[in-house]
Amino acid sequence: MMLLMKAELAKIKRKGFLFLAFLGAFGVVAMQMVNYGVRKEWLMQQNPDYWQYYLLNIQSFIPIAIVLGGIILTIQITNVEEETNAWKQQLALPISKKSLYLAKFLVIFVYLILAASLLFLFTLMYGIFLDFKQPIPFLTIVKESFLPVLATLPIIALQLWISVVSKSQTIAITIGIVNFLLTYSAFSFPEWVPWRWPYLGQPLFNIGLGVVAGALLLIVGMYDFYRKDAK
Amino acid sequence: MIGTLIKAEWYKLKHHHIYAILIIGPLLTLLIGMLNPMMGDMGAYHPWLSLFLFMNLPYALLFLPLITGVIACIICRYEHQAGGWKQWATLPVTRTQIYVSKLILIALLVLIIQMIYGLVIFIAGTVKGFDVVFPYWTVGKFIIGGWLATFPMIALQLWAAMHWRSFAVAFTINVVFTLPSILAINSERFGPFYPWAQPFFAMYVDESMSGMLFIPISQMLLVTGGSFIVFLVLGIATFKQKAI
Repeated sequence: MMLLMKAELAKIKRKGFLFLAFLGAFGVVAMQMVNYGVRKEWLMQQNPDYWQYYLLNIQSFIPIAIVLGGIILTIQITNVEEETNAWKQQLALPISKKSLYLAKFLVIFVYLILAASLLFLFTLMYGIFLDFKQPIPFLTIVKESFLPVLATLPIIALQLWISVVSKSQTIAITIGIVNFLLTYSAFSFPEWVPWRWPYLGQPLFNIGLGVVAGALLLIVGMYDFYRKDAK
Repeated sequence: MIGTLIKAEWYKLKHHHIYAILIIGPLLTLLIGMLNPMMGDMGAYHPWLSLFLFMNLPYALLFLPLITGVIACIICRYEHQAGGWKQWATLPVTRTQIYVSKLILIALLVLIIQMIYGLVIFIAGTVKGFDVVFPYWTVGKFIIGGWLATFPMIALQLWAAMHWRSFAVAFTINVVFTLPSILAINSERFGPFYPWAQPFFAMYVDESMSGMLFIPISQMLLVTGGSFIVFLVLGIATFKQKAI
């Protein structure tokens, strides 16, 4: 598996994955830099717990950033095979189709975790820069940065599945936009729909379901890819 | 000439689930609008107005700018895949003509999406039995206004789609410019000058349901027209230089 992941990492070299992870994390905090830059006084009056309110503002953008990042990563990681029609060559090698699929998923997961770590760092840095003069809630920042990734796993697994098996990347992008719009408007829907999970309204429930449904979709996608003929 | 070229582009498109892409946005935003829990609380409020309020936000703010990029990518896919750029070079058409015909076709497809959107709203309201007459004039204006406001996005996305083979690059550019609109529309100083926020302003309906296109014409000309010309010139110039 390590070898396969290394192969995947080699394929996505210079495809801007690192930049994308940076951009996603920085973008979320940059939104608040603009927000606090323009109207810090007003925002400070909204809630006496400055850190909590700041984190709440940050959190509202995290789900859409993860979903969009996941869409772009899943499309990029299948792009090499797509563009050069390399699926067949890939399958001529003595590696199992299932592990190839799993390796792609794991690489995306690693980059999402990397983005989450950067998000933690940027959130903390800008928070300190804002100088709230209140104790820093480290644990809350860690939770807020990393846990939404777990609750978004079903959407990521679904996008990878579509991206791998569909003939054209336009299908993956279009369904990606649907997922993104549903995530953005998640509060129109009842609590149980998957697009609300990344907001962590009920953390334990959302994360538990996220991991279980994500693993299920990963397995279904893996088997679908396994039994499909190479394009 | 351009007419023939547009027809040729349309033939290439037909196999790409283009109908699904045209209809998905209006239907999805209808679902989002109808299910919004606040929809029920609007009570005596003008029923059409509350429907526009909840539907136009996700539609004009996010869907419309994003879908222009998808259509631009589909329209260039054939050339990227089958070496079509080279085949173009053997035909007696200029590169500007190719570019402009692709641009016009994307714009026409976005107009079709806009019209489907209007139709979907009309059907939804009628089925729900709104007791107020459908505001044709208002809807007609925001459909056309929103359409015109996407022109800069169409030009920029066509440039990106022609330049890069990978869909992901063009899509990333699209997302990076579209997301700040979420903040921009809340800012009275910055919002009116951000091209990606213009479709939202053009489709924003206030209580009086009046106003020509809902935003000052001068602002639209300046921001939308200006950025459109910049992206168009950029697109045509780089396409002319492109080694194929």
